[in-house]
Amino acid sequence: MSEYDLAIIGKGAAAFSAAIKISELTSNQIKIAMIGYGPIGGTCVNVGCVPSKYLIEASKNFEMAKKPLYDGIKADASIDFDKFMESLNGFVSDERKEKYEKVIKNFDNIDLYDGKAKFLDKNTVAVNNDRITAFNFLIATGSKTFIPDIKGLTDYYTSENIWNIRKIPEKLVILGSGEVAIELAYAFSNFGSEVHIFNRSDRILKGFDEDITDNLRKIMENHGIKFHTGVNINEIKSKTLFYGNNSVNFDEIIVATGRIPNIDDLDLNKAGIKFNNRGIIVDKYFKTSNENIYAAGDCVDQELKLETLAGKEGAVSAENIFGSEKTVNIKNVPWVVFCDPNVASVGYTEKELKSMNIKYNIRKIDLKNVVKANILKSNDGIAKVISDENGTIIGVQVLAPNAAEFIIEGVYLIQNKLTYNDIINSSHVFPTVAESIKIAGQSFIRDISKMSCCME
Amino acid sequence: MAKNIELKVYGMTCDDCVAHVTEGLKSAIGVKDVYVSLKDGKATVKADDSVNPKELEKLDVFTKTHYKAQVRSVKDE
Ligand SMILES: Cc1cc2nc3c(=O)[nH]c(=O)nc-3n(C[C@H](O)[C@H](O)[C@H](O)COP(=O)(O)OP(=O)(O)OC[C@H]3O[C@@H](n4cnc5c(N)ncnc54)[C@H](O)[C@@H]3O)c2cc1C
Repeated sequence: MSEYDLAIIGKGAAAFSAAIKISELTSNQIKIAMIGYGPIGGTCVNVGCVPSKYLIEASKNFEMAKKPLYDGIKADASIDFDKFMESLNGFVSDERKEKYEKVIKNFDNIDLYDGKAKFLDKNTVAVNNDRITAFNFLIATGSKTFIPDIKGLTDYYTSENIWNIRKIPEKLVILGSGEVAIELAYAFSNFGSEVHIFNRSDRILKGFDEDITDNLRKIMENHGIKFHTGVNINEIKSKTLFYGNNSVNFDEIIVATGRIPNIDDLDLNKAGIKFNNRGIIVDKYFKTSNENIYAAGDCVDQELKLETLAGKEGAVSAENIFGSEKTVNIKNVPWVVFCDPNVASVGYTEKELKSMNIKYNIRKIDLKNVVKANILKSNDGIAKVISDENGTIIGVQVLAPNAAEFIIEGVYLIQNKLTYNDIINSSHVFPTVAESIKIAGQSFIRDISKMSCCME
Repeated sequence: MAKNIELKVYGMTCDDCVAHVTEGLKSAIGVKDVYVSLKDGKATVKADDSVNPKELEKLDVFTKTHYKAQVRSVKDE
């Protein structure tokens, strides 16, 4: 039996952030057991954000090399996909080493355990043959792909193992239409796969407003991606997917039908922790129904699953263990889908405001009004700025190239309760796509079709 | 009635720290006696019943300095 002040279940973003924060708070005097299985660092660095963004950027590079955007430039691109995937996996392993393996070595107060944890009672977990007791616990066990019950769905990739693929599929089926599905569809389409997206509902990226997602869908369709939405799949047999009276044959299939919390193996009832099928139930301080047990990150019942959010919640939980009352306002957290153009959002969407009967004003501009988007030859997107009745910004959504890099402007606007006048009064850089937010802000006070370039 | 509250205290490295933490705990209304152990990283506080043990974690000495404390047990005397 080993005794600790704190046992952290998980070794991903939320776990690391909590472990480091609480070590800082206690001058490294708190004794921590960190328990997890699989490679250190969890989803993000190993099978999530990092490899997926590497894949996307490389695919974009290949697409641009195949089809240069500007008159007079000719190119002849080819790809050794096997070699490329080796480089992707090498990059992941370097990042894991730098950001996790080396980092943990700085903390003598943290013992790592490899294995699955299971609660035996409120203060004890079993890990393989070890018994670990602790006064405090943090559950940060993340999430995994939900696998739908479809007849014949046996041989498939998910975002956990797609990084082992070594050949570009000629025909690729992707089940799902959330961010993971859209990002992988975009990347493989760039690499030359014929991509078919299947989804039971007729919407894609359901967290965003429909004007944004309709627009994105059109852009992706123009890029050759085929959407089969609002359809039920009958069965999958011999690399053929049957739906309605139709069928599509494929080389590979990726399941990306949403994510579910990793909580089944934990025996949460033994520790008196309440949960539902969306995750562990926590109060606004991330405390579970057991007052000495906190939960953070993807395993929590909450609307967003993000690396940045997991990290923030881990750190906030660490402070709250010592009696702080820190909270996270999810409406200040930006989220992005990294296809091109990027889809980025922070704050309330129009559909949320409508469903809550909150009055709002909205200004939406077409990216054709943004010189940099025209230079980039990627001007099919839109930028939307939403204010309350007093002009205070409460939502920003952008479908634009590089939106991931500038949605932070929306975060500062919303977090600091700034108004559209504050947008107008802030000088932006010309020419940038970020100007789209400035122009949307200006459209609260004037007709932008009667506005010259860089008009203040 | 009085109670004995045991707190785990983090961040102490010397006798000066012990003095700071002791003084900080004694500043709370209702606290009668304090014993701090550097070796164990613990504080034992004898306090009136009116004292909410969790509030001791929020004393200035544990929020405005680098020391941190957590209540580990509360026993009636
Ligand atoms: C393909 C993909 C792309 C993504 N891209 C982005 C992005 O671009 N930006 C972004 O912000 N977010 C992105 N995300 C989301 C992000 O990766 C997650 O939100 C984040 O990694 C969650 O961190 P976590 O600490 O909650 O869980 P994880 O990192 O998943 O860690 C969970 C840990 O718990 C351990 N564990 C699970 N069960 C047990 C058990 N019973 N006992 C012991 N240990 C256990 C696991 O071993 C693991 O170490 C992406 C996700 C995916 C899948």
